[in-house]
Amino acid sequence: MEEIYTWMAHIQNNSELVTQHYLGKTVENRTIYYLQISQPSDKNKKIIWMDCGIHAREWIAPAFCQWFVKEILQNYETDPKIRKFLQNLDLYILPVLNIDGYIYSWDTARLWRKNRSPHMNGTCYGTDLNRNFNSSWGTVGVSYNCSSEIFCGSGPESEPETRAVVQLIESKKNDILCFLTIHSYGQYILTPYGSTNTPPSNNEELMHVAQTAAAALMEKYGTIYEVGSTSLILYSNSGSSRDWAHMIGIPFSYTFELRDKGTYGFVLPDDQIQPTCEETMLAVTTIIDYVDQKYFPGGAMILTSGSLGLSLCLTAVLTLIVP
Amino acid sequence: MFALNPNSRQASRAAWVALHYSNYHGASPSGLRALRHVMKVSAKMIADVGVKYYLQFATEDYISGQETGNCFATVLYQKKSKPEVNIKCARTQDQKQIQEEDRRVFQYLRHQTKPITANKIPDSHGNIEHALLPVWALAVAGSSHIMLDKSKENVGYFLAQIRTAKQWIRKDGAVEFEYTILLHKTPTQEMDLCYMNVLWSLHQVLTAKYICASESHQLDDGSGQEFGSAAETLHKKGGNFLQGLSASHTRSMGKLCAQPEAAITFPSKPRYSKRE
Repeated sequence: MEEIYTWMAHIQNNSELVTQHYLGKTVENRTIYYLQISQPSDKNKKIIWMDCGIHAREWIAPAFCQWFVKEILQNYETDPKIRKFLQNLDLYILPVLNIDGYIYSWDTARLWRKNRSPHMNGTCYGTDLNRNFNSSWGTVGVSYNCSSEIFCGSGPESEPETRAVVQLIESKKNDILCFLTIHSYGQYILTPYGSTNTPPSNNEELMHVAQTAAAALMEKYGTIYEVGSTSLILYSNSGSSRDWAHMIGIPFSYTFELRDKGTYGFVLPDDQIQPTCEETMLAVTTIIDYVDQKYFPGGAMILTSGSLGLSLCLTAVLTLIVP
Repeated sequence: MFALNPNSRQASRAAWVALHYSNYHGASPSGLRALRHVMKVSAKMIADVGVKYYLQFATEDYISGQETGNCFATVLYQKKSKPEVNIKCARTQDQKQIQEEDRRVFQYLRHQTKPITANKIPDSHGNIEHALLPVWALAVAGSSHIMLDKSKENVGYFLAQIRTAKQWIRKDGAVEFEYTILLHKTPTQEMDLCYMNVLWSLHQVLTAKYICASESHQLDDGSGQEFGSAAETLHKKGGNFLQGLSASHTRSMGKLCAQPEAAITFPSKPRYSKRE
């Protein structure tokens, strides 16, 4: 984790696009930062959110968030797709949400999942942060027993890590178009909801975009991802961040379950890290690209004669109005 | 009979149950399969018995990830006992080659003069020492028996990690390993700790006996926990089963973690290779 803190500081100091921001504190009082990738502009931009490492043992997730940032910074000048969406969208990346749990999984118990909040006078530890959000909290796919791996906490948003995310997202929710949360394992792109079988109002579009993303992912190494609603293809769960984000009005909300399908599970070998990141990158940029096209149609890169004419016309009008 | 979405969790879980069955009864550590994707699935309620799934699915090699052919299977989840499975699979790989590999692995394990002992397969970073791949594969085959027994329509398992493995050199030519393993259970996300004894005989018959800690969370919250204390707990809980083991086996259970890993060399180039 120290390396990730250092990397975040380093990347802020060495790129004019990246700023590091305070998100909140963990149970054990560590600071949670997120990175904002943002091209200087006076335009009103929208936001893409992506968090990794809400579950401690899913080590491939923080690796992907870092890979994603690196790739964007390396390629934004040359890759027209990235260049285009960065004109309209800011990327908010949270490399590790459950920092206490992540450290615990490195130092003590590799397969630890939850955060490290003490319960019952310190006789049992940890709340499943992805059962702790205020989305049908405590109704299905959870446990009220603090020794369970899916303990949903003492109440909705009982955990400081949850509250840190909620506070930021709530304050920017009108600008956030897309909420991605990265997990492992299973090879799924999951849509809302986990807490009910009733599909969200924009289900058709959510599914279409996810299927396009899965197809883009498969092109790289042939890895098969399944796409569908969480309750249908994975299992029912309540209090997840994905459900919560969609319920507060963020239209594109997805959970990624990265490699593999169970052979290595959480202990994914080193030689699969890079291929996993590469293929996932294609899926994530496909989603961002779609969101960009939808909310910023036409785009500044494509200068059609019509838009050129319009802008010339506007310039002329403005010149006339403003002496 | 009603058709189901092949993407549904019930479909993939039932397909895995069928694969647990074939991975155990196949007794072939070189021919283990994993689920690639379900193509067709339907189900039928059978009064007073349970639910029966009819499946068609594609598989891949558990270790290399290479395509291995399609399977047809039925899985009957019974109210009162473990799932009943029928499965038939096409093989895209050369059956003779797999048998040859099995034979080679068997001879390799059987001819150890110093018993193999190991901890954490794979390790925290997913590494598996080359010489330990057969030990891992044998555990996958054996643990498939446990996972088959414990699977339900809404509960599934994967082998997460071998915590300890220890070989017993036998005079009758069979291969015997004693394992403690962690099974990842969904949707509860628990890690169930099981003690497992796998016997692989000359005629390629494989049997696994096991006991699992029923209150897993009392044990699993250190995956840093040492074998000794886990074995002690299992010992207390599983008195009946352990009585069936020889005295030397039982005595040694608590000591395993202290033993250093044996130096192991693989006699010939093994088939196993990690997936891309």
